[in-house]
Amino acid sequence: MNDQHLAVRGASKRFGTASVLDDLSLAVARGEFVSLLGPSGCGKTTLLRCIAGLLRLDAGSIAVAGRDISALPAHRRNVGVVFQNYALFPHLTVAQNIGFGLRAQGVPAAAAAPRIAEALALVRMAEFADRPVTALSGGQQQRVAVARALVVRPTLLLLDEPFSALDRKLRETMQVELKHLLREVGITAIFVTHDQEEALVVSDRIAVMNAGRIEQLADPATLYQRPASLYVLDFVGQSMRLGGTVSAAGLGEVTVETRLGTVRAPGAFAPGSRVVVAVRPEAVTLTETPPGGRNTLAARVSEVSFLGSRTQLHLDLPAGEDRGVVELPRLPPGIGPGSAVPLAFPIADTMVFPAA
Amino acid sequence: MERLGRWLSGGALALVILFLLLPILVVIPVSFTEAPVFRFPPEGFSLQWYEKIGRVDGLLGAIGLSARLALLATVISLLLGTLCAIALVRGVVPGAAAVSAFMLSPLMLPGLVLGIAMLQALREVGLRDAWWSLLLAHVVITLPFVMRTVLASLSLFDFGMVDAARTLGCSYPVALWRVLVPNILPGFVSGALFAFIASFDNYPVSMFLVDVRTKTLPIQLLNYLEISPDPTLAAVSTCLIALTVAILLLCDRLVGLRRLAPV
Amino acid sequence: MKRDPLGLLALPGVGYLALVFLAPLLLLLWSSVRGPEGWTLDGYVRLLGDPYYRGVIAASLQLALITTGGALLLGYPAAFALARARGGWQVVLFALIFLPLTVSIIVKSFGWGIVLRRDGILNWALLNLGLIERPVRMIFTEGALYAGMINVFLPFMVLPIFAVVRMLDPRLPDAAATLGASPWFSFRRVTLPLSLPGVVAGVSLVFSLSVAAYVTPSLLMGDRYMTMSMVMAKAFLNLRDWQLGAAMAAVLLAMALAVVVGAAALQRRLGGR
Repeated sequence: MNDQHLAVRGASKRFGTASVLDDLSLAVARGEFVSLLGPSGCGKTTLLRCIAGLLRLDAGSIAVAGRDISALPAHRRNVGVVFQNYALFPHLTVAQNIGFGLRAQGVPAAAAAPRIAEALALVRMAEFADRPVTALSGGQQQRVAVARALVVRPTLLLLDEPFSALDRKLRETMQVELKHLLREVGITAIFVTHDQEEALVVSDRIAVMNAGRIEQLADPATLYQRPASLYVLDFVGQSMRLGGTVSAAGLGEVTVETRLGTVRAPGAFAPGSRVVVAVRPEAVTLTETPPGGRNTLAARVSEVSFLGSRTQLHLDLPAGEDRGVVELPRLPPGIGPGSAVPLAFPIADTMVFPAA
Repeated sequence: MERLGRWLSGGALALVILFLLLPILVVIPVSFTEAPVFRFPPEGFSLQWYEKIGRVDGLLGAIGLSARLALLATVISLLLGTLCAIALVRGVVPGAAAVSAFMLSPLMLPGLVLGIAMLQALREVGLRDAWWSLLLAHVVITLPFVMRTVLASLSLFDFGMVDAARTLGCSYPVALWRVLVPNILPGFVSGALFAFIASFDNYPVSMFLVDVRTKTLPIQLLNYLEISPDPTLAAVSTCLIALTVAILLLCDRLVGLRRLAPV
Repeated sequence: MKRDPLGLLALPGVGYLALVFLAPLLLLLWSSVRGPEGWTLDGYVRLLGDPYYRGVIAASLQLALITTGGALLLGYPAAFALARARGGWQVVLFALIFLPLTVSIIVKSFGWGIVLRRDGILNWALLNLGLIERPVRMIFTEGALYAGMINVFLPFMVLPIFAVVRMLDPRLPDAAATLGASPWFSFRRVTLPLSLPGVVAGVSLVFSLSVAAYVTPSLLMGDRYMTMSMVMAKAFLNLRDWQLGAAMAAVLLAMALAVVVGAAALQRRLGGR
């Protein structure tokens, strides 16, 4: 990529004997929002702290705008960070918190004042300038943290679980608000999150991390529709998945024998391979005799969950690698726990992965 | 710069610990010397100074007196302090904050002033018996230690747990016994141990209240140091250090040392 | 108002302290202004008018200031190192600082004497290291007194600062660094102001304890360095001049109280920011 703003190459980091980052590479374009998504312990926060300069890499390099910053200490990198729970300075007011970076960099007070005012206005906190930060609500604290990080005009903004301290309702509002604000400023941003919904909302691309490596880096739609591995499939969204054995293969398509019946899927596996076939819940319909190009299976419902705009059916499957979640816009009459249902889903939407 | 700060503060900590332990540790080898002086390094090895503890006039008696005094003062403080802490945490006490500050205030006061004030007041009311004077004064010394820890563990205790135990089939007294007591017991015991040490080691209050026949251990030790300093003092000191270490280890098992910090 | 039966449980304890602690104190203060012929300030006049006693007060203040300053200088960085230590190490290091606090002051002062003697451990070490040729006189010097005082009161400085510092959010210096603050700037503007409540607590504690010190100065210096407490004890036990002693006690009490109240006010201001 030509317009490569952040380039992490071959990053490795160990804590004692545990490898936290394992030869990881990542490229982010200018103005792009990328999420690092993964469960706790996958190395996402470590990667963020390495980019910020709060940790040193054991091997590899980090470059911003073509300049290698790996050897610089944190205070010379000009990389902004919005910390989890914000890390606002409790002894300073809102305006003093925002002005902290300018003061640290030796910007004269006269030049700093208009920039602080501008930052306060940007996050709509002007009337709170002289309040102590300890008196602010969670959402207000987040805005101050964002303003504090942006006012020094960083080359890159890192956000560590920025929404985790907010309640659900506020979180959804702030996600959209923050995305809009950062777009307006035109900054390149990296979000660290373990919440897949949040990653889908805020990012242009998502890097799903697993054990110190990036499992897949793609835009949200690709990630959801074409996960590169079972790990990504399970981490992002729900699915119906069934273990099975390939019985026939050819012409870019495989036939798999599963517990519930025969499934065809696009892919290339040798006959006899153990595989997992999967389909996203909304691709499944309850139809007995569907038009061509579909897989059909018969299953039994174990539980029904009404979610408002849709209804989820949980299928009765033995524990193990099989998992069954199906989503319907509306529940047909007469279906409840124990009902036998016919399932149909397009062959084109069926995914097949090597069994773990 | 950051690394320099780490080195400096780490060095300071090492220095502080060495400095603090030096006068305590130095006593131990001296107590095993053969020579009748404190010379360093000590010469030979003998237990003669430990044997001499029993032969020095008044030393064993002072140990017994101090132990009885500390024990009794601690028990009385536990009784008064626990009742008061329960009232402050669970009851309605007018000016509760001021009352608890008052109950802790003997800690802030120069011990000598307290001793003099006690001496004068006891003369005024005509109490000249050293043992009773000492006991009255030592309860004042030990009470704040008990108050502090019992108050802290009571205010940390979630009384919802007592309700929970009652819904699980315990009567009120049984719920208190099964839930409240195990939770505040560590604070109770460590408060008592610290009160004991505070009384056992007290010098500035006791010095005004002792008489010729009734001398607490610290007073007797200081007298001995002035009259005939020999390594017997080191032997007694070593025993005191061992006792303190044992009590600290016990407290650590009960509550963890960090919660005990007196300040 | 309805009386709360649980609240009444406070009465025995409060009553005891009122009778055995507060009343004697008030009596002491009263006797400092009460002479054989009624009200008098004679004790205070003799105390503050006499250059000798003024010198004693000045010496006590000087001793307390040097002790507090020394303890702060050593204790502040040590408290940070203690807060940074991990898990098991922290418990061990904490115990090593805490232990001296519970060892009898007589034992410590006695041990300090052994350290400083002409044939003591310090002279022995210095001789063996070749730093000195013959033993140096250390005991009964002012330097030895200062060192001994700092030794006794240092834990009272380290522990309150440690209690504050270990609660500091370690991400605050991180946040400062990402905003371009050098470690020195970050220390001055973030860590130092946030640790001040601990410093105030430690300083006031060490000052009010050391200004009233009795055992350590009298053991390490004897009559060569008179502090307020020593004069007070002398006035009561030897001179039988109760009025003078009571006046000295009142002055000492006022100082200790002023420091405690002042520190509390300062704490509230620091906390209110």
